[in-house]
Amino acid sequence: MNGMNRLIRGLRVKPAMTVGLLLLCAVFSVQAQRTSSLKINEILVINETNFQDDYGIQRPWIEIYNSSAGTVNMAGCYLTINATDARLYQADNKLTLRDIYGSNDPRIYPVPKGDVLTKVRPNQHLLFWADGRPTRGTFHLSFMLDTEQPNFIALFDSDGRTFIDSVTVPAGQVADISYGLVHDGWSQKRLDEEIRLNQSYTGGTKLWKPFTQVTPSSNNFILDKSDKVENFKKNDASGAGMTVTAMGVVFVALLALFLSFKYVGKTAVRMSKKRAMQTSGMTEEQASVSTGMSGELFAAIALAIYEATELHDEENTILTIQHTARNYSPWSSKIQTLRELPIRK
Amino acid sequence: MDFLSFIGDNLQIFLSYTGFANATSGHLIMIAVGLVFIYLAIAKEFEPMLLIPIGFGILIGNIPFKDAGLQLGIYEEGSVLNILYQGVTSGWYPPLIFLGIGAMTDFSALISNPKLMLIGAAAQFGIFGAYILALLWGFDPSQAGAIGIIGGADGPTAIFLSSKLAPNLMGAIAVSAYSYMALVPVIQPPIMRLLTTKSERVIRMKPPRVVSQTEKIIFPIVGLLLTCFLVPSGLPLLGMLFFGNLIKESGVTRRLAETARGPLIDVITILLGITVGASTQATQFLTLSSLKIFGLGALSFVIATTTGVLFVKFFNIFLGKDNKINPLIGNAGVSAVPDSARISQVVGLEYDSSNYLLMHAMGPNVAGVIGSAVAAGVLLGFLG
Repeated sequence: MNGMNRLIRGLRVKPAMTVGLLLLCAVFSVQAQRTSSLKINEILVINETNFQDDYGIQRPWIEIYNSSAGTVNMAGCYLTINATDARLYQADNKLTLRDIYGSNDPRIYPVPKGDVLTKVRPNQHLLFWADGRPTRGTFHLSFMLDTEQPNFIALFDSDGRTFIDSVTVPAGQVADISYGLVHDGWSQKRLDEEIRLNQSYTGGTKLWKPFTQVTPSSNNFILDKSDKVENFKKNDASGAGMTVTAMGVVFVALLALFLSFKYVGKTAVRMSKKRAMQTSGMTEEQASVSTGMSGELFAAIALAIYEATELHDEENTILTIQHTARNYSPWSSKIQTLRELPIRK
Repeated sequence: MDFLSFIGDNLQIFLSYTGFANATSGHLIMIAVGLVFIYLAIAKEFEPMLLIPIGFGILIGNIPFKDAGLQLGIYEEGSVLNILYQGVTSGWYPPLIFLGIGAMTDFSALISNPKLMLIGAAAQFGIFGAYILALLWGFDPSQAGAIGIIGGADGPTAIFLSSKLAPNLMGAIAVSAYSYMALVPVIQPPIMRLLTTKSERVIRMKPPRVVSQTEKIIFPIVGLLLTCFLVPSGLPLLGMLFFGNLIKESGVTRRLAETARGPLIDVITILLGITVGASTQATQFLTLSSLKIFGLGALSFVIATTTGVLFVKFFNIFLGKDNKINPLIGNAGVSAVPDSARISQVVGLEYDSSNYLLMHAMGPNVAGVIGSAVAAGVLLGFLG
């Protein structure tokens, strides 16, 4: 009875565990594709002689950058200049922008769904016009930017409550000079890392800076060469540095495998000895002999018996041990694929 | 008369489209190279699975034709060959080949004697020796990295890395890597004999112990975690290699393993070989850089073999009398599975007809595959 209960419990637990693991995988894979990699990248508050919209008019704009290596769809996300309520930034927040500010607040712009152009390709940009005319198209926001006061701009996910990114553009912006990230998509952490690791970095310590050369829908920092390659050209012209470093890594990787399997092997030998001793009551010496028997040894014994007992000519054959066990599977079972013929009575 | 001149004009136009009208000396040279590959594969049985598709691919790629937008050539967008070539340029054929290699590789020799892994690491000096030489010969670091990987003696790895670091040199690198892999029976034995003494060549190694299935299952999992945590850029190759090995060793996914090591790897080998061969169009391929790459490729194999053998000799200094390693298996660290291991066996048998080194040589041989994939990951991480 106990055994039966255990079996039933086991049957219940296994599917539950499988479903749980699959859900966990699903959650993590969804997380990886989420809009969290979108960044507010560059803003032009006063546009007098700069980039024109599709109506040929100069308007303020906000540039969004996809910092991930996968395409992200912005459809349903919210761009807003009205998200200062502290409740929105609490970890257990259940309120959406709409709950707090109402569904008709023009300062909150939901990016329309169903437009293929809202998909941002990896490391690419999307430009929104802050002209207060959403009827002009997907990329025309329902709000405008204040040319006198600081502008707080925030991006929220399509659920309306998950915060993605924000920036406060300081007051006193100059016409046709944008305010952007020093490098596209960088965070403060990434900038700090760059300053720490790259001594030749000359971009300063501030994450945001004014750009006299405005770069709508293109990179804030123009990369005309590979830093890594240039670094090797400059500091390792002979290739010795690369050789020492890379061979070090190769040796460390294989050394780690060597050490792991040295101990895995020792444990396996010890366990098999123990098992042999337990099952057949052998001494430790006998057990160590039995675990040392290899397939080749069995083949040699088989060949010797064959040679000694069979009468035959000299043959040019290779004797091998071949496993003949076949695993049954209904997928490969021939009987399952046969068509049953109607029986005539 | 008008009709005759019409026929004459048409024939002239037709002739201008034929291979005869468009042939250059470059095409003829490359066709000769393709024929040599096919000859080596059939008559000498040098890596026929690779050299036949590549050799025939070279013939396909070097049939001269008029560039009239007919979407024929491998470099013309939308052509059939171009579509098949995308598996090479975007780098997804090599990981699939690695999946098959994983599903057909028995790591028992390595698991039973894990110190052989270090020989697989030592032989990777071939990669970096060639990297240094390529820098000296005027290649930039990313091109030198792509050329250096020829020394890993691993075709899929060479194609994968060159498609990322130096796509314009990929054809020459791939052909060079596969050519020298086919020529290991010619390149390696003289070096092995030169660097070893007679007494070293007859060293008998302890027979490998029996490896349990549990160990074989643990190997790909631990292998993946250890190597890829250290070098994440090796993930496409190492991930597939170890995954293929797990489906082989798990014992419960036999059909998957059989597909991976059978039809799948065969299909990809055909596509990879034929498209790499066809990518050697004379106009793109016959350059001074290609000649340099062939020179560097040969040197990288020499360096890899040398360092593998010398490392075993060095390693033996620290090993007990009963645990000595026969330096003739040092050459197997260059991967080129299983040819270089077979060479250890053949050369070993020349000096002791009952000393079978094949099983022992398979250890560094498969360690070489892991080592070259790790090295490729490091190069990609540094230069990609």
